[in-house]
Amino acid sequence: MLLEVKKLNAGYGYLQILRDVSLNVDTGEYVCLVGPNGAGKSTTLKTIAGLLSPTSGEILFDGEPIGGLPGNKVTRKGISLVSEDMNLFVNMSVEENLAMGAYIIRDKKAKKKQLEFVYDLFPRLAERSGQLAGTMSGGERKMLAIGRGLMANPQLLLVDEPSFGLAPQLTENVFQSLDVLVKKGLTIMLVEQNVTKTLEVTDRGYVLENGSIELSGKSSDLADNPHVRKVFLGV
Amino acid sequence: MFQMIQKSFWEQVRKFNSLAGISIIITIVVALAATIDRGGYLLVNTIVTGGMLALVSMGLALTLGVLNIPMFAHGEFFMIGTLVGYYVFNAISAYVGSHPESSLVFWGPMLTIVAAMIIGAVAGVITELLIFRQLRKRSRENWVMNAFLLTVGLSVVLVNGHQLFFGADFKGIVGYYSGPSLAIMDVYISRDRVFALIVAAVVVALFWFFMTYTRTGRAIRAVSQDETGALIVGIGLNGILMLTMSLSCALAAIAGAGLLFMYPSYPSIGLEPLYMAWFVVILAGLGNVLGAVMCSFMVALLKVLTIEYIGSGWDFVVPSILIILILIFKPSGIFGSEVRGVLDK
Repeated sequence: MLLEVKKLNAGYGYLQILRDVSLNVDTGEYVCLVGPNGAGKSTTLKTIAGLLSPTSGEILFDGEPIGGLPGNKVTRKGISLVSEDMNLFVNMSVEENLAMGAYIIRDKKAKKKQLEFVYDLFPRLAERSGQLAGTMSGGERKMLAIGRGLMANPQLLLVDEPSFGLAPQLTENVFQSLDVLVKKGLTIMLVEQNVTKTLEVTDRGYVLENGSIELSGKSSDLADNPHVRKVFLGV
Repeated sequence: MFQMIQKSFWEQVRKFNSLAGISIIITIVVALAATIDRGGYLLVNTIVTGGMLALVSMGLALTLGVLNIPMFAHGEFFMIGTLVGYYVFNAISAYVGSHPESSLVFWGPMLTIVAAMIIGAVAGVITELLIFRQLRKRSRENWVMNAFLLTVGLSVVLVNGHQLFFGADFKGIVGYYSGPSLAIMDVYISRDRVFALIVAAVVVALFWFFMTYTRTGRAIRAVSQDETGALIVGIGLNGILMLTMSLSCALAAIAGAGLLFMYPSYPSIGLEPLYMAWFVVILAGLGNVLGAVMCSFMVALLKVLTIEYIGSGWDFVVPSILIILILIFKPSGIFGSEVRGVLDK
């Protein structure tokens, strides 16, 4: 098991968001976490990525406990987060942003290989390598955020709302690139609002409601589940 | 290829069309006009003052941009620089007095600057560890206000500490280098000024190189642009914050030691550089480090011209009026802010 989360409780200050969340992700899997607004999806990812400390519970990555480690140490263990608001370095060029993504990699050759890989995946970024990140369009910034996450050569990529604020066509592109990554053997955990699309592309899913896991199973089964259909798809 | 060159050329032109470009051009034109009118010493004074001011204000802009601290104790690190400079250089002078052939005649002043830099950096580390890290651990609520009050308190403690341990008298040196002034065309520049100018130029250049091309320098910029983003890519915040603080204090200390031949050390010596640096930082846009370098020269020119044409009591008044105008009409500064300002967070 690559990632194991056991009975995780977390929140902001006195406000508890996650209640006993347990989930796991196996190597090479494409797992999604869906749920209504405010269910705690982003909080779950942030807690795994070390941006929030859990109040209780365990997070094991590759069998090693990582709960409570600060974000930079979690990244060094091999988890990259593509956050919802992207957190790009807006006054750096695309290339500098990507270089910062490989901050934890010291080996120049490995860095260059990652850069080529990312440019290969998103040729658009190669075209715009000198442009300031803050001046790019929403879709390009999303690509850059994913690209930057990949630069650290992670074992697990956490992707938060890749379709948020994007036009349908661009959303499609982002989903396609994630597909490519999964086919290349990367493990991805995806948080999305676009439930129909997400359940179509992922292998397995968890449904988060009010901070706890309500349902889990194969994505195709979840898509047919009457509760999911009623709550998310309005059928 | 040709198209690319053409494109980048037009981008440069467009940059100069902006407010920043216009003010740079005006500064250069005014500097040249004044030089022709009154003589080259104006230009020399502007460049020496501006260079040293750049060291202080770069540090200030850095603390503001990266640590989000409105630093009002920055002048006291300048003061620490003058103090270290005074004691180290006196010791070196005493040694040189009995060994006139020693190579320290040449290297002594540089050694003094390095000593001031090291002590300044250590002072910065201590400040970060003892004060700001503690505050950060305990509460990040109302951070800007609390940090500001702490820096004011730190300033009072350091000024009075100086008075208590070293006395309130002026502690100055005659000069770093003796010998006749250097003549360039018909302008005579004292050797000390040339020295200060070279120190400022070298330090600004090194600092710029460090911030632009090194991994650590980029990490500092990354933290200033997006703290969460920096954490995500694996940058350890504590280390970077400590480094930034020590760097900015070291820069102020270098300026203090570099100007010791003009301004002797006394407890509240830091007040003037602090105010001037704040003028610069507000003018440049809060937290904009490279803009601060440019604006240092503008403020220095303004100061030099005010002294020259209006009289030496006015050199604080005119920049203050300018700052008030800027705060009213262009609060983000003429260079815009490269990083989030204090109030964004």
